[in-house]
Amino acid sequence: MHSIWAVARNTLAQALRMKIAAVVILLLLILLPLMSMVMDGDGTLLGKLQTFTSYGLGLISLLLCILTIAISTYTLSNDLKCKYIFLVVTKPIRRFELILGKLLGIILLDILLLGIFSAILYGCTRLIPKITDAPESQKFQANAEFFTSRIGIKTELAKDLINNRARQRYNELKSSNQIPEDMSYARIMSELYVQEAMKVKRVDPGQTKEWDFEDVRVKNADDPNTFIFVRYKYQTAAPPPDEKVYGLWQVGDLRQFKAGAAKIKTPVYNVERDEVIRVTHEFAVPANAIAEDGYIGISFFNSTALNQTAIIPEELELLYQTGNFTANYFRAVLMILVRLVFLAVIGISLTTWLSFPVAVLVCITIFFVGLTNTFILDAIGGVGATAGMIYSILLKPLLWLLPQFDGVYNPNGYIVAGRTIQWTFLATTALFTLLVKGLLMLLAGMLIFRRREVARVAA
Amino acid sequence: MVTTENQYAIETISLTKIFPDWWGRAKVIAVEDLNLQVLQNEIYGFLGPNGSGKTTTIKMLLNLLHPTKGASFVFGGSVDSPAISGRIGYLPEESYLYRYLTARETLDFYGRIFGLPADIRKARIETLLEMVGLSGMGNRQIATFSKGMARRIGLAQALINDPDLLILDEPTSGMDPMGTRQIKDLFVELARRGKTILLCSHLLADVEDVCDRIGILYGGRMQVEGTVRQLLQQKDEMQMRTGQLSGRALEQIKRIVSSEGSPIDIEKPMDKLESFFIKVVAKARQEKQRTSGVEAGTGISGFLAEKPVVQHENILDKLVGAHPQKGPEEPEKSDRVEATKSPPVSQTQPPEADYGLLQQLTRQKTEAPLPSTETVQKEPEKPSVKKDILDDLIRKKSSGSTEITQPEKKEDTENA
Repeated sequence: MHSIWAVARNTLAQALRMKIAAVVILLLLILLPLMSMVMDGDGTLLGKLQTFTSYGLGLISLLLCILTIAISTYTLSNDLKCKYIFLVVTKPIRRFELILGKLLGIILLDILLLGIFSAILYGCTRLIPKITDAPESQKFQANAEFFTSRIGIKTELAKDLINNRARQRYNELKSSNQIPEDMSYARIMSELYVQEAMKVKRVDPGQTKEWDFEDVRVKNADDPNTFIFVRYKYQTAAPPPDEKVYGLWQVGDLRQFKAGAAKIKTPVYNVERDEVIRVTHEFAVPANAIAEDGYIGISFFNSTALNQTAIIPEELELLYQTGNFTANYFRAVLMILVRLVFLAVIGISLTTWLSFPVAVLVCITIFFVGLTNTFILDAIGGVGATAGMIYSILLKPLLWLLPQFDGVYNPNGYIVAGRTIQWTFLATTALFTLLVKGLLMLLAGMLIFRRREVARVAA
Repeated sequence: MVTTENQYAIETISLTKIFPDWWGRAKVIAVEDLNLQVLQNEIYGFLGPNGSGKTTTIKMLLNLLHPTKGASFVFGGSVDSPAISGRIGYLPEESYLYRYLTARETLDFYGRIFGLPADIRKARIETLLEMVGLSGMGNRQIATFSKGMARRIGLAQALINDPDLLILDEPTSGMDPMGTRQIKDLFVELARRGKTILLCSHLLADVEDVCDRIGILYGGRMQVEGTVRQLLQQKDEMQMRTGQLSGRALEQIKRIVSSEGSPIDIEKPMDKLESFFIKVVAKARQEKQRTSGVEAGTGISGFLAEKPVVQHENILDKLVGAHPQKGPEEPEKSDRVEATKSPPVSQTQPPEADYGLLQQLTRQKTEAPLPSTETVQKEPEKPSVKKDILDDLIRKKSSGSTEITQPEKKEDTENA
């Protein structure tokens, strides 16, 4: 243990005395406060906060990733190249202890730098509302949508139902010989599915659509200052003249209406909105609208007096607060740390058998693949049968080994939208990224290094 | 410190190393069927011209290279085991030290790997820095050091664990003659304390002075092996050393020798250049001549004379924790802890380092006067120093003493 610690301290000293570390530290120290001053976003306080944290976290993550890659690929390969390792491995230290020590040193550096810079970013974020001259409504919005930690419940389409209906339609069409001969079954089905799904989603003028949410548990639901949020986007069958939709929403225990107006106990809130289509909107209602058993209903009424076209409310989501911003921010930082640790593992594992320039190249490639991995996996998933075979045999295991840094694994999205990164999600990600993928690579690296002749000069 | 389970500190059994080319064909046979046996508590001189396989052998001993064939054992086991590598001190052919660390941090780093407790580590670092003459430069980065200075730190790191076996590859390369001399004395002192030293060098004078046994390697094969005396003594010649003699006496001697039927050759003995160099520098120091810059380089011997306390006891005793005469100011704690680590060595033998000369070499003119009580302590000690290099040097010239020795062959292994 003492030897791991000795190597970790040495690696830390080496990293801190490297020029690249100084450059990264200096860049972040200058850029972060500067960004907090010049970034405006869409002009609102919320926009400013979102833009600043998004770019700030992105910048910290990117620079520290590059620093981690540089140091992790440099430290062991340089020891080998400059033969410093002669004086280390001949001492009572096992080879795996040397690797673990190096890794520990880099992780400590990452924790140190990430801690410092995320604290600076946090401080700036907290400071922005205080020094910005924004109206109260914007401050309220910023508090409700940014300085919070919310969980969203999405409505799901009843896919089985739509599939059944599509098949039914297909049979009807077939029996009446209306199937075009040049179209395959799959293509017809997919078109029918889209049509049926549209039927389920659309709200024609004069009609009402209702969504039910169950088991919604909000802390301090009786507090009038606790809110729940409804988030949605409008599509329309035909574009309205002013690109706007007038929506009448009701949020609360809608079951009460069916039982009779006399039995209404929990409040039902009516919300009227006129908003442009194709943009995500959000409104808040007090959380006491939730019934005692955790039920809450949302209804949308398409009034004939206000709209002339069928409206399709999409991506409807009910959001409610589960924690505070600070804890959520901390989890976002931890998610970046998972990323950094994984890169450090890869960097060191690679240099057990690759030279510095090759290892750095491979590492950077892995990093950028990680940044677009979700996209790549989706894209390759859609290729044809033959290519799909090759893909699933060769490429898929390889891509599986590579990390995923984008999509749901990107902490920026959560912080910008004020959404909760759940501990369970964070733990699974860390477990999977580090203990499965990372450990596998680390063990491979240790195995190679154990057998390596460190004094061997490459011809 | 001496293991009972194996009489050899180092043993190799038909150790072979072949470096293949890219296609896997044998390209260079660096070491071939080497059976090296180094006994415990001996100084073994491992000689050979450049590229003869010395360093490759050492690297195989230390598991930096894997043998193509054969096996090597250190203290009867593999250096992979921390229990064995913890007993080895290794100085490679160049001082491969982390350039960004300071001298003190370097020693601290290696001390930590050995798992030395903080107090012992700290004490040893200071003692070692002092011993190699770099105590004033402990906080300077290795990158700013000259080759010789880096070499000294390299030697200090090899000693930090108080090793039972020292494997040294060209230890004196880049060092000035005083440093070389001091290191040679150190080896003798270490051997006296039961340590084993594998000294790999092609500076023959160094090897000749200190080694018990030598082996000469050429082309990866052991050419000759034996004790220095066995190998170098000329059985059929005698050499006589006397003070200044009158012409009459010389004539008489010549007559006696020629009556024995033996040829005779009389000439004045020459100083070795090393001795001469040390004498000149010592004299200049005594006269307090001005020097620019080199003070740092020659500071090597400063470790003993700097502090009177250190002067009375052997620096090595401090290192290994066995104090022949315990210094009054020695901290109790580290003494106790250290002593448990290694059994005390011959309590009766007084230290034999060359304090007299070292003192003369290193007394700095800028140094503040020592406290009077300590100076008093120091003065009467001087004559009691037994083996003084200066005495040794002067004795060669002093009249009245006569020595008869068998001359030793001049080594010339380069042509071996």
